[in-house]
Amino acid sequence: MNHPIETEALVIGAGPVGLFQVFQLGLQGIHCHVVDALPHVGGQCAELYPAKPIYDIPGIPFCTGHELVERLQQQVAPFKPTLHLGQQVSTIERQADQRLAVCTDKGQTFLVRTLFIAAGVGAFVPRRMALDGLNAFEGSQVFAEHASPERWAGQHLVVAGDADTALQTCLDASQGPQAAASVTLLHRRDQFAATPELISQMRQACSAGRMRFVAGQPTGVRIEHGRLQALELLNPQGENEWLHLDVLQTCLGLSPKLGPVAQWGLAMDRKQLVVNTENFATAEPGIFAVGDINTYPGKKKLILCGFHEATLAAFGAVALLRPEEKTLLQYTTTSTLLHQRLGIA
Amino acid sequence: MTHVVSESCIQCKYTDCVDVCPVDCFREGPNFLTIDPDECIDCAVCIPECPVNAIYAEEDLPADQQHMTKLNADLALLPGWKSITKRKAPMADAEQWKDKTGKLAELIR
Repeated sequence: MNHPIETEALVIGAGPVGLFQVFQLGLQGIHCHVVDALPHVGGQCAELYPAKPIYDIPGIPFCTGHELVERLQQQVAPFKPTLHLGQQVSTIERQADQRLAVCTDKGQTFLVRTLFIAAGVGAFVPRRMALDGLNAFEGSQVFAEHASPERWAGQHLVVAGDADTALQTCLDASQGPQAAASVTLLHRRDQFAATPELISQMRQACSAGRMRFVAGQPTGVRIEHGRLQALELLNPQGENEWLHLDVLQTCLGLSPKLGPVAQWGLAMDRKQLVVNTENFATAEPGIFAVGDINTYPGKKKLILCGFHEATLAAFGAVALLRPEEKTLLQYTTTSTLLHQRLGIA
Repeated sequence: MTHVVSESCIQCKYTDCVDVCPVDCFREGPNFLTIDPDECIDCAVCIPECPVNAIYAEEDLPADQQHMTKLNADLALLPGWKSITKRKAPMADAEQWKDKTGKLAELIR
């Protein structure tokens, strides 16, 4: 368990709205920490549509998801948010001193006075192989998280997937001091979504006997003496066969899952957090929800609406954090204070 | 509101949509996928995934597909229509059917 981080503000989610929340808090003189399940910022913009066009950002007639994220990163840079990537918030609890204790699955705890949930459609987590009986071996013989060689050194490894990560994992595992005893790539058909280079490297490794490819759809498991022994496959010829293994690494990509948000004890409507439209606070003092995760009468799931919500939420936070100060509306064009905060004074 | 699978999906079932759904709201029938309106959160993530553009926000449904809102809701309640959360191979004849219209008569419940 890491030492708890005490901070005024924590943002959950580093998508476009979470990043803009950082900016608006920065303008208010509030430094914040940011947690995101992905190893990089950008959320859906980075993960689902990095190359696809966006036409409705005010003042930017056209940009891609990737470009929007880059521009937002530039915009928040003066405020130096502390990023905690590759971890997911699992619990939120109110402390006796009214602060919130926010814990991640990597054992990091934050003690915060204001919390901004910008979790979009949920955390992007590795997709798991849906097969009855497989869950029990998660973490011992079956892994969906980031691949690491010590899991399979000297073992019979099966890697499931058809994209870059799956093929690269096979190639990595087939050589070096921590090589697996055998490497089998498993995908439902002999057709891959990886780059042409990786596909050709994989085929070479197969013909050189360093690994093999098996086409099939997993349909069942064989368990003996409490160990996962084999996967049952339905092969393209429509026959059943057994694929023996010690370790199964699934590389099936990422998908968003709403996950623990629903267990944080906040009021929800159709799985979205209910907020007011004055400052986008939930009914829990100090907890705000912005972007796709929230709902209110007239809600539209647009990035630009999220920007508006984040702006008013930041004003809401100042009112809570500095009740003695009058919250002044200042303009970035003219305010010396804002220029100082932006580092351009 | 909800999102709705239109007739384009019938006889195809490409299933790309189910991979991205954050709330696992797709249900699978013999030759069609439906969205359970009680589970859908209108995140729209599935729309661009469908190779035949079968999915619409309820309010964007074309005039000739209005009946699909109720049909999606009804099918989602059928006991045989189970949750599908992982992509699988499309139906064998998907390529032949994907551009056809007026496929409602083919729907198997």
